Amino acid sequence: MNKIKKLSPQARETIVGYSFLAPAIFFFLTFVAIPIITGMATSMFNYTQKKFVFTGIENYIKLFNDEIFIKSLFNTTKLVVISVPIIVLFSLFAALVLYEKHPVVRAIFRGIFYLPVVTGSVAVVVVWKWIFDPYNGILNYLLLNLGVIEKEIQWLGTKEFALWAIIIILITTSVGQPIILYISALGNLDVSQVEAARIDGASEWQVFRHIKWPGIMPTTLYVVVITTINTFQCFSLIQLLTSGGPNYNTSTIMYLVYETAFKKYQFGYANAMGVILAVVIGLFSLVQFKIFSSKE
Amino acid sequence: MKKLFAVIMVALLVLTGCSKKEENTAVETKTEDAKVEITWWAYPTFATVDGVAGKYEESVIAKFNEKFPNITVKVEMLDFKTGPEKTITALQGGTGPDVLFDAPGRIVDYGTSGYLVNLTDFVKETGLASDSDPLIIKASSDKDGNVWMYPLSSAPFMMAVSKNALEEAGLLGTVDFTKWTTEEFIDLSKKMQEKGYKGVQIYALNQGGDQGTRAFISNLTGARIINDDLTAYTMDTPEAIKAFELVKQGMDEGWLEGSTSNNAGDAITAFVNPQNSTFWAVNLWSLNLQKQKTPDLEASGIEVIHATLPSPDGKANLEYLVNGFAIFDNKDEAKIAAAKEFVKFISDDPVVGKENVIATNAFPVRNSFGDLYPGNELMNFHKGLTANYGVYYNTVPGFANMRPFWFGSLQSLITGEKTPEEVAKYFTSEANKTLAE
Repeated sequence: MNKIKKLSPQARETIVGYSFLAPAIFFFLTFVAIPIITGMATSMFNYTQKKFVFTGIENYIKLFNDEIFIKSLFNTTKLVVISVPIIVLFSLFAALVLYEKHPVVRAIFRGIFYLPVVTGSVAVVVVWKWIFDPYNGILNYLLLNLGVIEKEIQWLGTKEFALWAIIIILITTSVGQPIILYISALGNLDVSQVEAARIDGASEWQVFRHIKWPGIMPTTLYVVVITTINTFQCFSLIQLLTSGGPNYNTSTIMYLVYETAFKKYQFGYANAMGVILAVVIGLFSLVQFKIFSSKE
Repeated sequence: MKKLFAVIMVALLVLTGCSKKEENTAVETKTEDAKVEITWWAYPTFATVDGVAGKYEESVIAKFNEKFPNITVKVEMLDFKTGPEKTITALQGGTGPDVLFDAPGRIVDYGTSGYLVNLTDFVKETGLASDSDPLIIKASSDKDGNVWMYPLSSAPFMMAVSKNALEEAGLLGTVDFTKWTTEEFIDLSKKMQEKGYKGVQIYALNQGGDQGTRAFISNLTGARIINDDLTAYTMDTPEAIKAFELVKQGMDEGWLEGSTSNNAGDAITAFVNPQNSTFWAVNLWSLNLQKQKTPDLEASGIEVIHATLPSPDGKANLEYLVNGFAIFDNKDEAKIAAAKEFVKFISDDPVVGKENVIATNAFPVRNSFGDLYPGNELMNFHKGLTANYGVYYNTVPGFANMRPFWFGSLQSLITGEKTPEEVAKYFTSEANKTLAE
């Protein structure tokens, strides 16, 4: 006790500060840092139920010759490249339109868009599965009765449609959060700047381009990065709807990690896939930070 | 490194509360008063009491404790979706159970991975080896003959046909489903198609119920999935290619229904769906499924005819389930001995053993248990089908790795990405690689 009293106020402040941080650091180390390190380390092993043999970078070499992994990487990238811009643009559009509405209307629509986010993904996916069901689904029922199609379409089982069906579901479940963030960001803009620009004769497009857009740029950066990461990690939709099929045409890296680890029991190989995914996400995020930061 | 990883996994499980405190305390041996506590993990194979999972298992434990009061058994129910992952995670973290009630596919894999007690001598000591069909003991063993599962009961997988659909189509009684041929199946399928019914589903969403399509397709032309000594998959023979061609033809002509968005569970649900009577048959059915789906069947009014799989000579080679117990080697002799007593009681007790077999809705592995369903026509039909059991291949090395290639190949066949011959050759070549892994 006396020793603590002898410490300088700055040292005591440091100790207290780290003491407050300790629980967070403990959980971070236990649930984030150590699993990451363990995952990276075991990716260098032929690690199955029966074996645990160091193989160096063999898993990584095997990955880049694995056509299923390449297909899954391509699908994942396609999912990101298509859905992220749509999610960002739609969210921005919806937020701009809703922000001008009466607060009650705004609240109702915020609730509607946010509903898929707060509803459990399994429940949402089950509803979509019913919609897309080839034999009892409402989509085929409507299209058949309207004469648009002659035979049931297997929306989730045909390579031409399956990934698009996934993208549609992904978009509907992903726009809620960005819309809320954009509405908040728009609320934080300096209204006097907007009004001054309008008085000076600026068009609505000019107001948006030169005042609103720069003002919400930090939010855009956050939305783009988070949406990209979430899309790269798309798993539950795939697992519950298509199991990666048909013929791995909707398989994503995250789903393949699951299948490799828990269906094929190749833990080391699955970890190698996880490491590659982390690297790809890191690179994408870096590029996005560069692009949006420079515009800021 | 593996030990470090195991320690970390245990730490994670403890911290997240994934492993319940009771489980950990349950595996502590109370040697001071000669009491032993063991944990029993069970899939819901036994009949449920009052619709409550685990209630039947508790009643079995109560009966066991009347004879063995010093052995405390804690039961924990698994479900078929998450159970395998939970077990694997627990085994990797060293927090697995002492006894598991499951099937050979997973159990033999745990055994060859070093988690289980070898039961080769145990099945001889209890007399099970000499009192059962050698095929079932072989199904409970690895390729080197080590027995890892103590089998309790067994039943065949077969098909279900809607009696209502046949009646409506005016075709009831035209085929003997206990021995129908491929020719009869195709003929009936075409007639049912003309009456507006959809063909039998060739489902390929994932590995759920994939044994159904393997048995159905291979039997159509008398092909075999694997050779008798389990050393090579044989789905690239001329008969097998012909089987894939027949399936493709059926899907193209509409008397079979290819579905890459359904698995067996979906196909069965579609068959028994009260709002849907478009499917006249489903190629995976069993006594247990009949029991599980009774509420749906009552709601839809569908009466099911149990049928064997169609084959060229009417004698299909059937796949089958085996229910049994694994004992985990948790490095505690007292626990292992207690677990053996428990398994022996559940499976071999003259009264409780028979009750348990009946609770699985299957046939006893022990021949001396005799006919447990006297006068039951349906059970007699199924009992007769047990003579058509094929070679049990769910325990071959790399079986888990083979399954994605099977449904993946079927997907290629359904979507037309590969020809029947390409499918046959691709699947067999990839499956044989998994055997060698």
